[in-house]
Amino acid sequence: MDRRDFLKGSAMTAATLAASRLAYGQDRAAVEPPSTARQGGDVQWNKAPCRFCGTGCHVQVGVQNGKVVAIAGDQKAPVNKGLLCVKGYHVGLALYGQDRLTTPLLRKGDKQVPISWEEAIDIIARRVLKDPKGFALYGSGQWTIPEGYAASKFVKAGLGTHNIDANARLCMASAVTGFLATYGVDEPAGCYDDLDACDVLITWGNNPAEMHPVLFSRVIDRRSRGEKVTLIDIGTRKTRTSGFADHSLRFKPNSDLAIACGIAHLLVENGTYDKAFVEANCAFRASSTPPTLEGKAISFEEYRELLKPYTPEKVEQLSGVSQKDLRMLAGLFGRRDVRITSLWCMGPNQHTQGTAMNSLLHGLHLLSGHFGKPGDAPTSLTGQPSACGTVREVGTLSHALPGGRVVAKAEHRAQMEEIWNVPAGRVSEKIGYHTVEMWKRFSTPTEQGGDVHTVWVQVTNPAQSLPNTHKLVDPSRKLADKFLIVSDVYPTATTRIADLVLPSAMWVEKNGMVGNSERRTQQWFKLVQPPGQARDDGWQLISVAHRLLELGFAGMKDKDGRFLFDVKGKDGRSVPIWEWSHYYDVNVDEHLFEEYRKTTRIKHKDLAPYQEYVKARGLRWPVVQQPDGSWRETRFRFSGFDDPYVKKGRDIQFYHSTSHDDRAQIWFQPYEPPPESPDSEYPFWLCTGRVIEHWHTGSVTMRIPQLRRAMPQAYVEMNRADARKLGVDNGDLVTVETRRGKLDLPVWLGGRGEPVEGSLFVPFFDERLLINELTLDAHDPFSKQPDYKKCAARVRRRERVAEKQK
Amino acid sequence: MPISSLVLTLDASPESRALALSELARDPRITLGPPVEGRWLPVVTETASPYEGEELAESLRELVGVSFVDVVMVDFSEEER
Ligand code: SF4
Repeated sequence: MDRRDFLKGSAMTAATLAASRLAYGQDRAAVEPPSTARQGGDVQWNKAPCRFCGTGCHVQVGVQNGKVVAIAGDQKAPVNKGLLCVKGYHVGLALYGQDRLTTPLLRKGDKQVPISWEEAIDIIARRVLKDPKGFALYGSGQWTIPEGYAASKFVKAGLGTHNIDANARLCMASAVTGFLATYGVDEPAGCYDDLDACDVLITWGNNPAEMHPVLFSRVIDRRSRGEKVTLIDIGTRKTRTSGFADHSLRFKPNSDLAIACGIAHLLVENGTYDKAFVEANCAFRASSTPPTLEGKAISFEEYRELLKPYTPEKVEQLSGVSQKDLRMLAGLFGRRDVRITSLWCMGPNQHTQGTAMNSLLHGLHLLSGHFGKPGDAPTSLTGQPSACGTVREVGTLSHALPGGRVVAKAEHRAQMEEIWNVPAGRVSEKIGYHTVEMWKRFSTPTEQGGDVHTVWVQVTNPAQSLPNTHKLVDPSRKLADKFLIVSDVYPTATTRIADLVLPSAMWVEKNGMVGNSERRTQQWFKLVQPPGQARDDGWQLISVAHRLLELGFAGMKDKDGRFLFDVKGKDGRSVPIWEWSHYYDVNVDEHLFEEYRKTTRIKHKDLAPYQEYVKARGLRWPVVQQPDGSWRETRFRFSGFDDPYVKKGRDIQFYHSTSHDDRAQIWFQPYEPPPESPDSEYPFWLCTGRVIEHWHTGSVTMRIPQLRRAMPQAYVEMNRADARKLGVDNGDLVTVETRRGKLDLPVWLGGRGEPVEGSLFVPFFDERLLINELTLDAHDPFSKQPDYKKCAARVRRRERVAEKQK
Repeated sequence: MPISSLVLTLDASPESRALALSELARDPRITLGPPVEGRWLPVVTETASPYEGEELAESLRELVGVSFVDVVMVDFSEEER
């Protein structure tokens, strides 16, 4: 086959995959295993959740001769009902990229040379011993729940610090703070069933057709069955989701706050808000001085006054959304006879006003009473398979503790000391470094206050995913006393600059549990062996903990002198799980999970015993035992008809209310200008994001030939009018430049997305084209989540740049 | 010779779909894949320049019987850098 035929063949594969995707539930081929499948009777099928996004689809994994040979959508899974997106079909191939990391590697001079696991574990333990407070663990929403729990216990109970944070800080942190500010407890009250019941779906700065395609398909399927679902897309760029929308509204970056205030203004002024719901269930809040997440209580009249400036005229001027569209939105929210679901993800979260915008979205649903009935829900989606389970629930964040506890509360620290059986005072009251701060300190010379000397990264790729990497990552590599340890499955931008690289097992090469966007906890078993010497991240942590114990570090012992991660076998004797040959003598996941489960009750995030998850395709918490001994999940939280914690006879009860009176808070948050806006020097907006084929930094999906071929490299999307002005066309190289760096990218016009005039979009999956060298590290004051969605940029034809540089 | 992958979403009406298919089959620059559920048609285009590719995609958007054009992939690998 010549190169052209090959290219054409690849192009047809890509188009066919995309067509299947667009057809979603109507593609019969989609429920067949992919081409690697062999249907022989010797293929063993087992369930596992998909490795990729936060949707949490379940797949059936076919294993033959110790290898994953087939993947099929799991017909029994309520999330995806047998369907998968293009990433899910190929998840089995994620294990088999040619360049898996298979041995620990230590940097010696310019080279990374193989070393033994014993040596690697010893090096890490000695780096910790050097100064435990200067050691930081940086993890991810791809950690399994037991791994995250082990990581949290290692740092918080063992080292007595809180220098642990996770990449979910970059994607979900503002959602968390928005929930806390509104309900006093984190995570959506609704669930995916809302998508089957809503009459109106509003996507706020969100592109579920590409990012959560299996969820989007539930809505599109309903339409193709003849049901009417009005789809309203509100965003800064035309996306594939816009293509399906009845109303597609474009707003100026950052002005979503003005739109939300404008809708609330109209609801209040027209008297079309849900008075009965608000009077029974809500209170009003505004920012306090100094600003806190709880703010200050205000009256309805004060709320009304604060909204007064957000007239349709003013909002149109601020946002670019027409008065007519604004009135249309307010009209829908004002109706009691329709059910409205809002979906959002990175748009409102990666925002310097992320907490504020999240609070406003909840506020609109509360104010209008579109809450708590199937189809009426404000729903925030997650991007990673366990951003909820491992990060938000387990508390692998610098200010958090497991089960929704926080470091700041003495009683929460004491509860965890009791569960962990460690001496009083072991759980420090000093909050650790959040992601941006952790990396800033790691990249600052020690003598200038850079008090983080060692960072251990697991299951994430910060050298590609952090914002402004020139500032947050690169300087550390020039400082002699800074040491970077990275556990991963493939070489990445981060492993390449690491001092020590550890090869990890992935997905069904280990046991695992994850929690998806709808409070669903899912479980799977190890089905195949990891390659070479690759080993579980959980084992790596426990092994270092034990080495520290051997070296005399008292923190790795509990009050009774036992190893913090002591696990007893059936004979009642401790199993040496820190030795790889014994790690699977017991189910370490089950032990860790059962211990973690004890932490989940205070915020009513009750989990069932491990064995219940073995039987199920996930269960949504709170999972409460019934009189007959069975375990029942909860679909609609705070709703009397479904949530077992709502008092009998009440329709709604916000039982974690910050005002302690069962009320949720409707916030007023004003529009504020963005931290950096286009000007004469940098006249464009730059937005970054994802594409359907690749998962996050592409470190796994770029190893899957079908996905790599379908989307081989990053590009810059721009508006045709801008392209004409610049004299560039499809495929032309341009230089995109911000105050932080520049990058050459090919132009893509009229593709799947189209930015409005004056704005650019670049996906971040391509490690050869690191767009995050250009993005801002400015972040939300509460969530500390950076804003990847807007900064000022300029774009020039490459030839002109070259001419100028001569 | 840039190659692009597109997906055409065809109209619900069988008549206009048939019309679109016969139009498409006439253009030598277009290779048609098997339609998914009769409605979503994978297409590969091969044109002399990226500009021509874009024009072709644009004209497909206008074609009777085609309700939507998604660009799945544009291969830039043979472009001169
Ligand atoms: S990537 Fe997300 S939507 Fe796609 S199959 Fe996996 S979990 Fe489902």
